[in-house]
Amino acid sequence: MKNQNRLVAAVSTPAILIGLVLVVALIGAYGDVTTARVATLALVSVVFVVGLSVFSGNSGVMSFGHVAFMAAGAYTTAYLTIPVPLKKSLFSDLPGWLSWLADVHTSFPVALLAGAVVAGVVGLVTAPVVARLSGLQSGIATLAMLMVTYNVLNSWTEVTRGSSSMIGIPRGTTAWWAFAVAALAVVVAWGYRCSRGGLQLRASREDFWAAEAAGIAVGRHRAIAWVISAMLCGVAGALYAGYLTSFNVNGFFLAATFSFVVMIVLGGYLSLSGAVVGALAVSALQEVLRRFQDGQFTGGSALPAGVADLIVAGVLLVVLVKAPYGLMGVRELRLPGSRRRAAEPAPEAEREPAHAG
Amino acid sequence: MTATDLNPTRRSSVLRMAGGGIHFDGVKAVDGVTIEVRSGEVLGLIGPNGSGKTSTLNLLSGMLKASAGSISIDDQDITRLSMRQRARRGVVRTFQSGRVFGRLTVWENVEAAALGGGLRRPAARALTAEIIEELGLEPVAHDLAQQLTAGRVRTAAIARALATGPRFLLLDEPAAGQNESEAVELITAIRGFAQRRDCGVLLVEHDMSVVMGTCDRLHVLDSGRTVVEGEPATVRSDPRVIEIYFGKRH
Ligand SMILES: Nc1ncnc2c1ncn2[C@@H]1O[C@H](COP(=O)(O)OP(=O)(O)OP(=O)(O)O)[C@@H](O)[C@H]1O
Ligand SMILES: [Mg+2]
Repeated sequence: MKNQNRLVAAVSTPAILIGLVLVVALIGAYGDVTTARVATLALVSVVFVVGLSVFSGNSGVMSFGHVAFMAAGAYTTAYLTIPVPLKKSLFSDLPGWLSWLADVHTSFPVALLAGAVVAGVVGLVTAPVVARLSGLQSGIATLAMLMVTYNVLNSWTEVTRGSSSMIGIPRGTTAWWAFAVAALAVVVAWGYRCSRGGLQLRASREDFWAAEAAGIAVGRHRAIAWVISAMLCGVAGALYAGYLTSFNVNGFFLAATFSFVVMIVLGGYLSLSGAVVGALAVSALQEVLRRFQDGQFTGGSALPAGVADLIVAGVLLVVLVKAPYGLMGVRELRLPGSRRRAAEPAPEAEREPAHAG
Repeated sequence: MTATDLNPTRRSSVLRMAGGGIHFDGVKAVDGVTIEVRSGEVLGLIGPNGSGKTSTLNLLSGMLKASAGSISIDDQDITRLSMRQRARRGVVRTFQSGRVFGRLTVWENVEAAALGGGLRRPAARALTAEIIEELGLEPVAHDLAQQLTAGRVRTAAIARALATGPRFLLLDEPAAGQNESEAVELITAIRGFAQRRDCGVLLVEHDMSVVMGTCDRLHVLDSGRTVVEGEPATVRSDPRVIEIYFGKRH
C-alpha cells in the first residue's frame, strides 16, 4: 500500500505533464494551419525548456548558452537531411576535410538522434568549465559560449552559410513527433531529477558548501546534468529545423535565449512542471500578443512592432516581483491523491531565498 | 570506558591538527593550535566569542586552508584535501547556522548526504529511514527543511551529518539557542549516536556548564590559542580558564 502510494507519487507528475503536452499535440494535429504551427513550435519549446531545466532547475545555475546546443541540433539535422544534390550546390566550398558531409544523408529520426549526440559532444567539451563556476561567473561563461557559437556559425560561411538562411530541409517534424520527443524529454528530466545524481545536485543548489561538506561531488553532478541538458536541447534544435524547413543563424541568438529564459523563469525554474507550464503559457501569450500587435483584436489597426515583446517583458517583471520562483515555485503538478506534504505551498518561507550563513 | 573498548573490531583512530594556523588580514583567528579528536570520545572545544572555535573546525574540515600546520587522520596527511574529500574520509561537519537544504524535504536532506557519503540508493534509503527514526524526525520527514522550527533544523543538520558516514563528527554549537538542560539532553543524545557508530566528536560550545558533564575532554581556546586541555574537572579548576572564561561573567 505504502509502496503503491510512492509509485503513484513518482509517476503522477510526469503523467500530468505528458497529458498537458498531449492536449497541445492534439491541437497541433487537428487545428487550423496557424494554430497547428503555434502548437507544434510550443512543443519544441517544451523540449528545449525541459532540457534547460535539467541543468538549471537541479543545479540552480542559470545558463544563457543553451541555445548553442539547439543550434548544434538544427545544423546537424540540416546536414543530415537536406537532399544530397541540393546540399552539393548549397555547400560547394566545403573544406576538403569536411567534403564527406556533402554526401551523407539520413532519415529524420536518425537526424534527431544525431542532433542529440552532436549537442551532447558540445556539452561534454564545455562541461569542465561549467562544473567549476556558479552565479555571475556562470552566467557570463554561458553567455560567452553563446557568443562564440553565434560568431562561428555566422562567420564560417563555407560550412554554415553564415548569415544566409539554411534552406531545403525536408519537413520531418509533425505534431506527433514533437509530442513524442516532448514526452520523452519529460520522462528523462523527471528520471534524472529523482535519480541519486539529481538529488545530490538539488542539494547543492540549496547550499553549495553544505553539499560539499556532505561529500557531494557538486562539480561532477553539474557536468552530468549539463550534458543531459545539452542533448535534450540538441533534439529541440533538430525538431525546430525539421519543422521550419529553413532557419537562420539569428534564430539562435539573444532573442531566442531571452524568450526561453522568460519561459523557464515565468513557469518556475525549480520545478519540472514550471518548465512545461512556462513553455506552454509563454508560447500562447506570445501568439496572442502577436495577433494583438497585428491588429486582429483591434479591428485591423496594427500596433508598432515590439509591443508584444514589451508586454512579455512586463509580464516577466510582474511575475518576478510577485512570485520570484515563478508560477510553480518548488511545487510540482500532482494527482490530488498523491499530493505529499512537501508539495504543498510554503507561503512564508518561499518568499525568501535559501539562507546560507 | 570509551566506545572503542566496546567495539574491538574497529581500530581506534585520531584526527589531528598540529600547529594549525589561519589569519584574516592580520587577525590571527587560529594561531598554532594542536588538537586531537579520538574515535569514541567527545571532545568539547570551548572559548569565548571570537576565540577561533569555528575557524578551528573550518581548518579540520577543510573549509579553510591552513596557512600553518598540518592535519592528519592517524598517519595519513589530509592537509591538502578539500572539504568534500575529507568528508568522504569520514571528517564530517555541521555549520553554526544549520545550512540545511531548505527546499528539499527532511528525508531528501538526509538521503542526499547518505549518497554523498558514497552509498548506493537502497543502502542510502535504509540508512535515511534509520536515522530519521533514531532522531525522531518522522513527523516532519516530508516537510521542506525551510519550514522546520529552529530545534528541528538543528536535529536535521545532525541527521544529515550522521548520514554522511562520519568517523569524526565536528559539530559547531549544535545546542545554540537552547537552555542548559535542553542542551545537555541534546549533547547526551549526540553522544549516544556517535558512540554507536564508534565515531569521535568535536563539539563546539561556548557554555562551560553544558560541556562539563557531557564531554570526555575539553580544549579551551582564547584569541586563537590553546589555553589548556584535559579532563573537564581539571580544566574547570585551571586558573587561566577561570580568568578568561568565568572572570568575564562574574
Ligand atoms: N572569514 C573571516 N574573515 C575575517 N575574519 C574572520 C573570518 N572568520 C573569522 N574571522 C575572525 O576570526 C576570529 C575567530 O572567529 P571564529 O568564528 O573562529 O570564532 P568563534 O570562536 O567561532 O566565535 P563564536 O563563538 O562567535 O562563534 C574572530 O575575530 C573573527 O572575527
Ligand atoms: Mg563560531
